[in-house]
Amino acid sequence: MESKITFGKTEAVSILIIGITTQLFLNFPRVMSESAGAAGWLLIIYVTVLTLILFTIIQKLYSRFEGKDILDIGETVGGGIGRVLIGVIYLVYYIFAVSITLREFGEDLKIIALTRSPISFVLLFFTVGMAIGAYYGIEPLGRLAAIVVPIVIVGFIIVLSGTVEYYDISHILPLMGTGPYNIFVNGATRISVFSGLSMLFLMAPFIGAHRNFKKVGLYGILISSFFLTIGTLIYLLSIPYPYSNEGFLPVYQLSRKIDYGRFFQRIESIFVIIWTMTALVYLSTVLFFITHLFKKTFSLKFYRPLVAPMTVIVFTLSLVPQSLMKAIELDTQVFRIFAWIVTFGITLLLLLIGTVVKRKKEGGVKREK
Amino acid sequence: MKNRIKIVCFVFVVCFLSTTMTGCFDRRELDDLAYPIAIGLDKGDNNFLKLTLQLAVPTAIGTGEGGGGAGGSESISVTTVETPSIYSGLNMINTYLSKQINLSHAKVLVFSEDLAREGMNKYINAILRSREFRPNAFVLVARGKGAMAEKYIRSVKPELEANPAKYYELVLRAYRYTGFTADAQLVNFHHRMTSYDIQPVAVLAGVGTFESLGEIDAEESTFREKEREYPFEGDFKAGDMPKVGEVKSETMGLAVFKGARMVGEIDGEETIYYLMVSGEFGYTYMTLPDPINKDTFVILSVKQSRPPVKKVKMEGDKPVVSVKVKLEADILSIQSGINYESTDKVSVMEESAEEFIKSGIQRYLKRTAEELNSDMCGIGTNMKGKFLTWSDWEKFDWKSKYKDSTFDVSVDLKIRRPGLLVRSADTQIMEGEGK
Repeated sequence: MESKITFGKTEAVSILIIGITTQLFLNFPRVMSESAGAAGWLLIIYVTVLTLILFTIIQKLYSRFEGKDILDIGETVGGGIGRVLIGVIYLVYYIFAVSITLREFGEDLKIIALTRSPISFVLLFFTVGMAIGAYYGIEPLGRLAAIVVPIVIVGFIIVLSGTVEYYDISHILPLMGTGPYNIFVNGATRISVFSGLSMLFLMAPFIGAHRNFKKVGLYGILISSFFLTIGTLIYLLSIPYPYSNEGFLPVYQLSRKIDYGRFFQRIESIFVIIWTMTALVYLSTVLFFITHLFKKTFSLKFYRPLVAPMTVIVFTLSLVPQSLMKAIELDTQVFRIFAWIVTFGITLLLLLIGTVVKRKKEGGVKREK
Repeated sequence: MKNRIKIVCFVFVVCFLSTTMTGCFDRRELDDLAYPIAIGLDKGDNNFLKLTLQLAVPTAIGTGEGGGGAGGSESISVTTVETPSIYSGLNMINTYLSKQINLSHAKVLVFSEDLAREGMNKYINAILRSREFRPNAFVLVARGKGAMAEKYIRSVKPELEANPAKYYELVLRAYRYTGFTADAQLVNFHHRMTSYDIQPVAVLAGVGTFESLGEIDAEESTFREKEREYPFEGDFKAGDMPKVGEVKSETMGLAVFKGARMVGEIDGEETIYYLMVSGEFGYTYMTLPDPINKDTFVILSVKQSRPPVKKVKMEGDKPVVSVKVKLEADILSIQSGINYESTDKVSVMEESAEEFIKSGIQRYLKRTAEELNSDMCGIGTNMKGKFLTWSDWEKFDWKSKYKDSTFDVSVDLKIRRPGLLVRSADTQIMEGEGK
């Protein structure tokens, strides 16, 4: 019954945008500044081009697997074992991502708003929210994302445009930042920025025809890239390098700078609202995909009974890093560098093998005829 | 039935979230918190620091008390402790104040000159790490030897404001219409502190020493350094202004830094030139010598008409800086009665004003390079763009080269309006001293 769920391109694009741009509200602009200095914004444009090239190849190969998700392709390649293998890889990947992100969101909220509350108490609210979201499933989450994304964009624009008095073009000079080698060679691994694209490979059955898959992916990458670039560019225009490497929550810090006279200040409250909305949709969606993956990997009938145990696992794992610094390190030095291996590496490999296997099978069928 | 359950669940969730997510876990009521408006840091006599807090008294502000006369102090309470660090000092103060200190409304950070000359790095870093401090708080340096930050804070008694926070906001934004101080926000101070291409500044604060008109002298004025016979309005620094009255606290001029260490001071007039070269100049009333009748003044309301154009090139190992400043002015007063409003004489006044300001900027910039060795106007930001990568820029070491800079300044001033009078009457004729 669940496989009959479908939703429109807008919802799917909204989920992708949330999946890719959530990092913007955590530490993304600072990470870009650390990687490429004043040219952090240039690095995003570069990785966007790389991602578009990879996505073009992926969607071409995917055309042979219309309406199939990555697990179905795994099954095509290696039967049940292939499906389980890919399922487990994606499960580990998503559980790691969501646990770290949950911890970061919780810790950040504790630092900026609920300073005296225990971290477990703060995390509890995110956890309950994401569990409820995941329970209702992908269709309501898609619709929620379609509502939340425009609100977040408006809030984001308010925050970014509010800092206009601090923009200084000299802050993004020297133009090549920490150097072309850091941008174009070391920076290549930063395609992990678009690791949220992996959600598209799981959403494929819900969005129908291959042309939808292509459009959703393309729009998702381009819109996300636009906001990641603008967010980083404005951060770097407002906060000069090397000071830009020090900020804990870059967009929050930008919002704290907004000060127009005695009446228009303390705008960070807008940031906190758009930030928690993004967190809710992101965490719920990823938790849904975890339960969906588990269900499909192990051929279970329903995903809803899995929501509670998966939530407990994610909540527990999120408390494993002993500090926020450790959680940030895991996110920026591990996940955001190696996530491309799953999103692009394994997917591409699987699609290539799948295409060969499918051709062989089709060739075999033709010969039999 | 289902709907009823949904409504009950909804009401339960709303009640639960509104009681737990609104900070009630912390159990910190607004009424239980004390809000320092100004924080003073001096070198301690028996410990590393002397921490002074100027606390707002909300009940007095709310009832509008303390708005006039000496009552201005009623909306403020000041306390000082000797402490090893800022936060340990706050802990100590929390032991004897009935309310818990909360720094989220601190408007002003005042450092004593002694502390500023030693270096403010460790204090600024500690302050910026706390989420309670606002990045828009103003950084001040209290001039003089000893615990001047405490002395300055204790001297602040707002005359026209019941709300001390509003007093600081208004006084420290007055540079927009005086030009005698500048925007020295905490966050900008820290950016510049770690910058390779621009150096920080802080507002100079001081306490007036004159009790009566008879005591006033201009000994501390900077007019002699500028080879003038008498002081102009900008030839003072905070604490030296020739004034008497209830308000003893003063802000005028800037403390100049190199990195986190204070290296010197500039007076009010130089601060105007700093603002003009930085492009942050609003407007000011400027007194200029009359170009024809040297014993009288022309007073102009001067504002910046275009952002300044700064260019820098290297000649050998020495930077050559060119600065073009575009100003416009309205006539406020012509003491001589010479008709400078007329189209044939206005250019005489314009050229004279241009020359006056140009020589002032030239003298000021030369001082920043040769005496202060601090690129406080951010000439380096123009140099930075000539490099492709950060490591090349770092290796270039602009900070060490700035002291050898030479400056070519040009000022373009246009007088636009004569005020409400289009022609000056020559009073000398009326008095029978003319023709």
